[in-house]
Amino acid sequence: MAAGLQLMIIDDEPIVGKRLKRMFEKEGYAVETFLNGASAIEALEKKHFDIIVTDLMMGSVDGMKVLDTAVKKNAGTRVIIITGFGDQGTIDEALNKGASDFLIKPFKFEELYKAVKKAESGLKAT
Amino acid sequence: MQLKIWHKMIIGIAIPSLIALLGGLLAYGYITDVKNRQGFVMIADDMKEHVLEIRRNEKNLLLHKDVEYFKYCGDSISVLKNYLSNISPQSTAEIGESNFSELRNSIQMYSDTINNLYGQFQTETDVVEKVREEGRKLEAYIAAKKSNGELSTNFILNVRRLEKNYMLFRDKGSFIAFESAILTMKNIVPICYECIPYTQVAYSLSKAYNNSESLINELQATGVKLENITYGIAGKERSRINAFLNRTHTLLVAALILLCTIGPLLVYKTASYIVAPIKRLSDITKKITEGDLNQRAPLKEHDETYSLAMSFNTMLDQLQLTHHSLEQSIELLHEKQIEAEKRASLGFLISGVTHELNNPLNNISLTAESMREDINELTLEELKEYIQDILSQSERAKHIVSDLLEFVGTHKAAVMEKLDIINLIEEAASLVANQLRVSNINLKMDIPNAPFFINGSKSKLEEIFVNIMINAVHAMKSSGRITISARPDKEHKRIIIDISDTGCGIPEKDLKNIFEPFFTTKPSGEGTGLGLSVAHSLVMKHSGDISVQSKLGEGTTFTITLPGFEEGLL
Repeated sequence: MAAGLQLMIIDDEPIVGKRLKRMFEKEGYAVETFLNGASAIEALEKKHFDIIVTDLMMGSVDGMKVLDTAVKKNAGTRVIIITGFGDQGTIDEALNKGASDFLIKPFKFEELYKAVKKAESGLKAT
Repeated sequence: MQLKIWHKMIIGIAIPSLIALLGGLLAYGYITDVKNRQGFVMIADDMKEHVLEIRRNEKNLLLHKDVEYFKYCGDSISVLKNYLSNISPQSTAEIGESNFSELRNSIQMYSDTINNLYGQFQTETDVVEKVREEGRKLEAYIAAKKSNGELSTNFILNVRRLEKNYMLFRDKGSFIAFESAILTMKNIVPICYECIPYTQVAYSLSKAYNNSESLINELQATGVKLENITYGIAGKERSRINAFLNRTHTLLVAALILLCTIGPLLVYKTASYIVAPIKRLSDITKKITEGDLNQRAPLKEHDETYSLAMSFNTMLDQLQLTHHSLEQSIELLHEKQIEAEKRASLGFLISGVTHELNNPLNNISLTAESMREDINELTLEELKEYIQDILSQSERAKHIVSDLLEFVGTHKAAVMEKLDIINLIEEAASLVANQLRVSNINLKMDIPNAPFFINGSKSKLEEIFVNIMINAVHAMKSSGRITISARPDKEHKRIIIDISDTGCGIPEKDLKNIFEPFFTTKPSGEGTGLGLSVAHSLVMKHSGDISVQSKLGEGTTFTITLPGFEEGLL
């Protein structure tokens, strides 16, 4: 069990948030979902999240901006990017900025779960 | 004409100069002649002066009948003779030998007459002395006798008075008075021995007087002749000068006319010959500037412009070659650019399709996975929701594919029919009315009451308006106003439809991409990025036009222009 780690899920596709919330909660995470980057950044100001799973393309405040803000706020926060389309340039940019993983949609829950676990082990190491 | 420019220039300048020079030279020649002739006129005038001097002395001589004046006359004749002998033979020949021989003869005749007159004058003086002597004797006789018949002392005294008068004046009047007195004396005393000597010498006097008279007449006639000759010579020389001057005048006028006509004509012709090849080059340069590189300078003149034209043509050959290779390079570059653009837009399209399709696929996959994991825990409601999500996401994927096909134009052809576009706009508006109400958006319609017919597909046209209105709804988020206005343009047989919103507006940098497929600034799920590009391709299919104007923060207006209905286009 993940001992109540704070997980933030941001995707403008509501289904993604709903399904992932249910599945991660089953695994013992405290999950909060957001439909856009702006509201997620707002929540980051108020509360600490251990792991952030964010979509990349979401209108004016995109996943890259969320990544920037989260890393700036707390270097220990792990950010996993999920996106419908990712060229190598974008992937490299995200990883350089400190993203711990990059998943292309459609992905299996297991893959994301693995990525989260990996991020979690990173958290423990620090 | 195979002449060099400087040859042409020399011809153009030299010929008028030659005309001027010729005129000047001729005028100079005539003026020199006139100058020489003026010398002859002076000679003639001098001769005239001398003759006048002779004649003045002659007049004095005849007036005073004095020996001294004979000397004066002789002197002035000598002066003239001397003057004549001093005239150069050349001048004599120029003025005319005959004139001079006539003059010399007349002078000689005049001189002889003067001498004769002098002799006659001496004779007359002797006779006068005799008359005086005999007069004194007769007077003494008459006075001693007191009277001889009718001859009175008084009469004789009167005769002697008339005699003295004549002695004194020696003129015609006094002579006639004396002669008539002698004749009266003869009539009074026909036989008077004492009177005979007196009357005889009186008769001799009369004879001498008459001789003098005829000599005087001869002298005067010769004097007049002398005058006429010298006047004639002077007049002739003057008229010759006038003739020369007239000729010079005519010549100068002729030269001037020639200079004024041929001169400018030659200069003009020369200038034209010089300028013609340069002008041709200039014209060709102009044509080349306008883009015609096939122009070449004609090699007509064999002057300095020939080599210029040759170099010019060589330069043009080089230029054309360079131009050609440049064109080829540009074409190649263009092709490469088009290729790159094609690749880029294909990449853009693929990334758009991938992104758009992967989202619903991800949703389906996650939902299915979740169902598989939790199948036993899920309530019936939850299962229904999951199944509905899978269905709606499948539908979404289908729409994306269909939009894509619509965009690339492989979808089934739309049925075109005669449609009232006004009515269609109202129907399209009613399709989105519910969504507008939910989003708290007002709809304002500014459309005419009368129908406006066009050729079109009902479903496609509805799709255009719905797509644009949905785009507007997304731009306004929670509230705002959409205004649809339609203006029929009867003149151009078309209708102009504006769809405006009060939304966030489109940044200027994005305006040019707004009709590109998969171009979107909206969050995922709110639009595929195909709506406006599909609207654009559908308007094009209706032979219409679509454009966009937007101001950030104020709103966006899409303007659609559709042609009016025309029979035969269905």
